Amino acid sequence: MITNDREFRAVLDGLDARQQRLAAVRFVEDVLPLCTDERINRAMVVAADGGASATALADALKSVKAATIDCHARCGAEGDWDAQAGYFVARAAIAALTPLGQLPGGSAWQAAMSCRMAQTSKSIVSGENSGELESERQYAILSAYMNS
Amino acid sequence: MSEPELLIWIRGPALQIATVIFLLGVVVRIFEILVLGRKPNLAEARGSAVAGGLRTVFARSIPDRGTLQRSTFNLVAGYIFHTGIFITLLFFAPHILLFQDTLGLSWPSLPTQVIDATTVVTIIALLAVLVHRVAHRVMRYLSRFQDYLVWLVTILPMVTGYLAFHRIGLTPQHLITIHIASVELLMVVFPFTKLMHAFTLFFARYYNGAMAGYKGVNS
Amino acid sequence: MTASLERGLHAFKEQIDAPVASFFTSCVRCGLCAEACLFFTETGDPSYTPIHKLEPLRRVWKQEYTFWGRLAKAVGLSKPVTDTELAQWETLVYDSCTLCGRCSMVCPVGNDIAYMIRRMREGMAAAGHAPEGLIGATTRAVTIGSPMGVKLPALLAQIGHTEKDIGMKIPVDVAGADYMLLLSSMEIMNFPEFIGAVAKIFSKAGVSWTISSEAFEATNSGIQIGVSEIAAQLVQRIVDAAEKLKVKSVISPECGHAYMAIRWEGPNLIGKPYNFKVVHILELLDDLRKQGRLKTSGKETQRLTYHDPCQIARRGGVVDQPRNLINMVAENFVEMPETGTMNWCCGAGGGVSANERADELRLAAFKRKKKQLDVVRPDALVSACSNCRIQLEDGLEENNMDIPVLSLTETIAEHLVDD
Repeated sequence: MITNDREFRAVLDGLDARQQRLAAVRFVEDVLPLCTDERINRAMVVAADGGASATALADALKSVKAATIDCHARCGAEGDWDAQAGYFVARAAIAALTPLGQLPGGSAWQAAMSCRMAQTSKSIVSGENSGELESERQYAILSAYMNS
Repeated sequence: MSEPELLIWIRGPALQIATVIFLLGVVVRIFEILVLGRKPNLAEARGSAVAGGLRTVFARSIPDRGTLQRSTFNLVAGYIFHTGIFITLLFFAPHILLFQDTLGLSWPSLPTQVIDATTVVTIIALLAVLVHRVAHRVMRYLSRFQDYLVWLVTILPMVTGYLAFHRIGLTPQHLITIHIASVELLMVVFPFTKLMHAFTLFFARYYNGAMAGYKGVNS
Repeated sequence: MTASLERGLHAFKEQIDAPVASFFTSCVRCGLCAEACLFFTETGDPSYTPIHKLEPLRRVWKQEYTFWGRLAKAVGLSKPVTDTELAQWETLVYDSCTLCGRCSMVCPVGNDIAYMIRRMREGMAAAGHAPEGLIGATTRAVTIGSPMGVKLPALLAQIGHTEKDIGMKIPVDVAGADYMLLLSSMEIMNFPEFIGAVAKIFSKAGVSWTISSEAFEATNSGIQIGVSEIAAQLVQRIVDAAEKLKVKSVISPECGHAYMAIRWEGPNLIGKPYNFKVVHILELLDDLRKQGRLKTSGKETQRLTYHDPCQIARRGGVVDQPRNLINMVAENFVEMPETGTMNWCCGAGGGVSANERADELRLAAFKRKKKQLDVVRPDALVSACSNCRIQLEDGLEENNMDIPVLSLTETIAEHLVDD
């Protein structure tokens, strides 16, 4: 049972590239409703495939990067936290699809962080504090993945 | 006016008038700059403005590698004609005699063949610079009447000096008269044009280097 | 003459000082500044020649502050600056210039052209010729406290999230702390992990710090648009908060123009020196490194290179510190071919990225950075400005280049030694 971030991270660090991707995808799927960009959905379907080819993954990464650029808050523009939630989901998707070693801390960890950020953005709009719950849901998700 | 009378006038009153206009003009233009002043910098300094300013006054004469690669013609041709002008102006024996007469200073001259070759190279560089100004997209776009006028008054003393030295075309007296007149033209035009950069670039580079040096940057 | 044109011309006049006059007097129309400007090199459009962007200001200088210019004006021989002309110059002054200052490094007679563009913007804004996006940002900055409309509850939510994730409290409004951290809206919205990174580093290094709920915004839209009164107002907010909390030093985050605004322009805008210091986050991190308080482990093995944000390096003076920090956590760090104070701008600073009209030009300008990257061929690109980061990501994506962009502070935090 994972109960805190130290344990969470330790488990993630022990995963190989493919496993980190699959764990990351599960984190992203949990927050997918916060994002309206279809490209993220499609990319996650590809990423969830344990036997996906390197080319397919690279293509998915490309489309997700494009989606992220489209949804970031532009400098000086009026910020929209609803849209930012979608931006963070897209960033999580990027992390999920980025080869291990390129992102400090590992792909799955970065994906998890971005997913939590997506919930926080949403909670800024709604006023509720649902951001806190996401990390606990992620512990449960990771535990479930490890047991499968 | 007869030939000798014209020459006497060119060497005498005309030169005096030109010198007065030149000196007065330069002083006024520098004064116009300095009188505007600049506000003191209230931010906490990281480095020395004075050191930075002085450094840039000299260092800006050396282009960085990338700029040298990208703007090679501009820099090389520019250096050639500037150096050429200084060499012919300062190290040609008859010029040094003139400085001795007016300022009481004297220094060794360079052999006339060297001066001669330098003059030719400088004229070629100036012609190349004109072609560049007309042919290059940015140069053409930026250039105004004044740029071409200044080019003309800069090359005229070189060309007329060469002709005078080699006694080509007219009598020696006429040629020297024309040469001195061309220098007087340059002097009179000088303070009203970008030729002022010869003096004001020291201020410009200093201000640039000082503002950068204050922040700890070598510019 | 309309009232706004008159205000604009009056502002131009006020902005002309001895340096400006010496620059205009010395310009020999050599065109070297064009080759130093990425907007020209990547488009070939001669109107982007830096000195040309200043033409209206030059004419005002000539007509107001030179003998012959004034004489010509008096007898009706000079060409007055018109409202139409200022309208035409808007794209040159705002869309095709990030105030990066590379032109200022290259001009053979020593002209600081970026300095003049900054001053010209004062007149342009006064005359009503500033881009819409910047006007909106500036209005929000004044009324809401952030150019992107980030209000305190949003910041607190991000802080709350961060606290949960890193398992430590983030000090808000702690009087007597040594350092007060500012944040840019871009970081709060797009890269909030920066807050966590800073908190972790400070905790490990034993830095006493706080964020102020009354002045957390680092971005200064007043500087970008060129309205000194507003820029001063935004700085004063920070000064008031810093004095109220009695901090010794204010930290400028990973945002280029914010540093320029608070560190170098600030005291001159408000008319008096600060009674606190201002440091860029990189300066502080490097100080901690020198004092042995920044302990990291492990090194990135991937090939890394560093993009110098213009306002931090060339115009700000923070050049060595990022390199010292990168070398702590990287074993394969390679410099760009032209680097440090001669590095090339990302193309998006100084208000350009806030201006939708400039999108196409901004992405074209990025090609200069692309050329540098094509030579270095890094696995990842490190920088220290959120706006550069977004532009780099945008440009890389547009050009199908697969290079992650990393924040230097966040990378350091990832390598902190765990106890």
